[in-house]
Amino acid sequence: MLRGVPTRDGLTRGSLLTTLCVMALASWGPAYGDALDGVLEVRSAYVNLDKGVFLLHARIDYPISPAIRSALRDGLTLTVDLEARVDRQRRFWFNLNIVELTLRRELSYHAVSDRYVVRDTKSGDQESFATLDEALGYLGKVDAWPILVEPQLDGGNYTISVRAGVRRGHLPASLRAILFWTDDWARVSEWYSWLLPA
Amino acid sequence: MVTPGVNERPRRLRWVAVAQALLWCAIGLGAFLLLAESVQNSAEFERLRPWILLVDLCGVIVLSVLLARKLWRLVRDYRAHVPGSRLTARTVGIFGGLVIAPLLIVYLSSLEFINRGIDSWFKVEVKQGLNDALRLSRAALDLRMREYSARTVALAAALTDAAPAGVQSRLDAERRASQATEIALFGPHEHILAASLENPLEGLPSQLPADLVRQVVQHRPYVSLEPLTGGQYLIRTAAALGDAAAGHDGRFVVAVYPVPAQLAALSEAVQSSYHQYGDLAALREPLKYSFRLTLTLVLLLAMLAAIYGAIFSAQRLVRPVQDLIEGTRAVGKGDFGTRLPLPSRDEMGFLVHSFNDMTKRLRRARAEATHSQQAVERERERLAIILARLSTGVLAIDRSMVVRTANEAAGAILGTDLSGATGRSLPELAGGNERLGQFVAALAVRFAAGREEWREQLDLDGAAGRRTLMCACTPLPGEDSDMGFVIVFDDITTLLQAQRDAAWGEVARRLAHEIKNPLTPIQLSAERLRRRLLSGMNERDAEILERGTRTIVQQVQTMQQMVNAFSEYARAPEMQISRFSLNQLITEVADLYRSQAPHTRIRLDLDEHLEGIEADRGRVRQILNNLVTNALEALDGVGTPTLEIATRLEAGADAEYAAVTVCDNGPGFPRELLGKVFDPYVTSKPKGTGLGLAIVKKIIEEHGGRIDADNRPEGGARVRMVLPVKDSTRSATGGARERLDQLRRERA
Repeated sequence: MLRGVPTRDGLTRGSLLTTLCVMALASWGPAYGDALDGVLEVRSAYVNLDKGVFLLHARIDYPISPAIRSALRDGLTLTVDLEARVDRQRRFWFNLNIVELTLRRELSYHAVSDRYVVRDTKSGDQESFATLDEALGYLGKVDAWPILVEPQLDGGNYTISVRAGVRRGHLPASLRAILFWTDDWARVSEWYSWLLPA
Repeated sequence: MVTPGVNERPRRLRWVAVAQALLWCAIGLGAFLLLAESVQNSAEFERLRPWILLVDLCGVIVLSVLLARKLWRLVRDYRAHVPGSRLTARTVGIFGGLVIAPLLIVYLSSLEFINRGIDSWFKVEVKQGLNDALRLSRAALDLRMREYSARTVALAAALTDAAPAGVQSRLDAERRASQATEIALFGPHEHILAASLENPLEGLPSQLPADLVRQVVQHRPYVSLEPLTGGQYLIRTAAALGDAAAGHDGRFVVAVYPVPAQLAALSEAVQSSYHQYGDLAALREPLKYSFRLTLTLVLLLAMLAAIYGAIFSAQRLVRPVQDLIEGTRAVGKGDFGTRLPLPSRDEMGFLVHSFNDMTKRLRRARAEATHSQQAVERERERLAIILARLSTGVLAIDRSMVVRTANEAAGAILGTDLSGATGRSLPELAGGNERLGQFVAALAVRFAAGREEWREQLDLDGAAGRRTLMCACTPLPGEDSDMGFVIVFDDITTLLQAQRDAAWGEVARRLAHEIKNPLTPIQLSAERLRRRLLSGMNERDAEILERGTRTIVQQVQTMQQMVNAFSEYARAPEMQISRFSLNQLITEVADLYRSQAPHTRIRLDLDEHLEGIEADRGRVRQILNNLVTNALEALDGVGTPTLEIATRLEAGADAEYAAVTVCDNGPGFPRELLGKVFDPYVTSKPKGTGLGLAIVKKIIEEHGGRIDADNRPEGGARVRMVLPVKDSTRSATGGARERLDQLRRERA
């Protein structure tokens, strides 16, 4: 098991720009709401090396608010992402990104069967659950997700970062531009980062 | 003022502005394309969203800054009353109003349209229809689910007491009978006791849901509809074996049934519609808010752009007007070099072109006027120099006798300073000046008589004697009737005096020649008669003869004295020029006369700076003798007779002069004789020959000097003579000898 102390990564360029823009837009009006209110965090994560493959294991808490429950039952689809990235640390420059992966799944309420369905958007596999808690529990438990192979590492220090995100899925492209300013159904957690031991 | 050379900078600035506008248009278009591209891909959208926001934010900030700058300048110019700023502000107001009012109308209409339009998408009827379809699908499936659940419960009851050997066959029979895909019997801890699968190759039954076990443990039948990939469904049922009252022995049967394809497809269609509607319904309020916000932002951007464009257009429109105002002001201040840049080839360009043409013509006209004025000024200066150097007096006056021009000679002749007389009237200037007063009176008499062009001789009497002027008056030409007159006059007193002197010299010479010759024979004849006849006559006749011849001889001698005096006046002896002290000579003469006239106080005021003078000492002594004698004779009978003799060294323009003034406190010269006291035979004394002062004047002139006689204001006569200190000064005019010859020629 390869696990280190989680650290808060510094502001990356993207987050800095986002922060600036969000601050600027916040001054124009209530752009972001609290539809996804609740705890959204990567509770724990680690990797283990199995036959030259680094497997990621993570436990994530996803928000369960009355608004989410209601919206899901009304037919809304949530996209639940787990982003993982591996960066090689550099002393005098930005870190070099080695791997950037996203495990994307969709959570929806199947009204005909009265069950909650979790679908892997990449493989198309899906699981159904009688309750939302079961579905979220399933989503919050990721085991043995291969993110890296040993030959990709060539010495030096590496940082593994994991972040969870929730946003509105199935948004029509024609409306995405219009909802540019006010898409409050999108949240990401803080990066959960740790150093990969050499 | 804008010159053609300065046009390069605005042209460069214009290109920079165009380049900036194109750059921002490209950035905006790029942002729009990025947005259009990114919305197709969620991950790409999330990645590009900050950049799109940044570009848009920068555009808004730049536009706001530009607009704020423009507005600030407009307000500043308005407050500073910069030409054209009010017109710009008014134009901006009009343009802004024309643009903003329709924008606001469109904005408000669009808001209302969006609210109503979006609300109409989510009608209650649609939601209700979907819910009904959903309930219908559920009802259709519930029927099958209950049917399958009942079969499973029945199967579980049948298997409760079945022998283990017959379980497998029973499961197979039931699976075939119910068309289930799998039926399995589980024991405690979910151990598979027996299973019948439609596809035996799958090996094991499917994994059990957690809630199934929980429910079965409680001895409750389980049934669920599970959606599968590809729009398929399955119905999973479970039931515990045994009697509920007897407790659960851990065994339960699970059956999985497929849902007919047609029913599954219909149910999946309902589910899909439900999802789509749900996704859209969740967007209802965000959509309205986004549309409102987007519209508001677009309105704000459009208003900012409209105001900026209005200011920009107004400034472009007003710029030529501002240039014209500044150019007009510059022309008003006399700057005819103003050239305005041509803004375009429209009417404003024509106006600017006309302005430039006007300034060009004005500049040319002013150059010509300046040239003419300089020429006139040069002529005027030349004329002024000529007038100043003229010995003839020139006086220009208007009809009310206000002086327009007067040269120095005019002032000198009229005995007053006319240098500051321009603009003043002659009668005003004549106050206190007797000679000028008489001159003005003579002019007034002629102007009053309507005589505008005349040439006459004017005699002006004054304290310094009579002056004779030859005066000519001519009206000045010109369109103005009040152009006035120009009066040209010469002081011909000296000329007349010279003519008189010459005439008297001729008279004296003839008298000396014609009368002197017969006198001697007359005297000799008379003496001979007395000598011859006196001895032969009686006493009485002898006495008569004696008396007669004595009278003849005495009268002849008297006549000889007179002839000698005339001869003295007429002759011009050689002068013996030497350097001597004039002060010492005066002192000697004064001492001589102090002894002869002890009652007369003779006072000397001699200038010690007057060291010596080059002149004929004997003739200067004769001058002094004549003057002192005249004065003493005039002082006869005066209570406290006083005679004053003063000398001064005076500096002239080109030489030094010795001025000798002889004054007395006698009765002075009779007024009628002033101006003629130096003429021969002019005397106020009963015994005088009238040649004393004439001879004095003649000697003075032979020395190149001059002499004047007048009366002192406090009473008494005053004679003032001026002699050059050096003979070389006289040499400048030919020296004493040549001066003498000149005088002779003049008298001849």
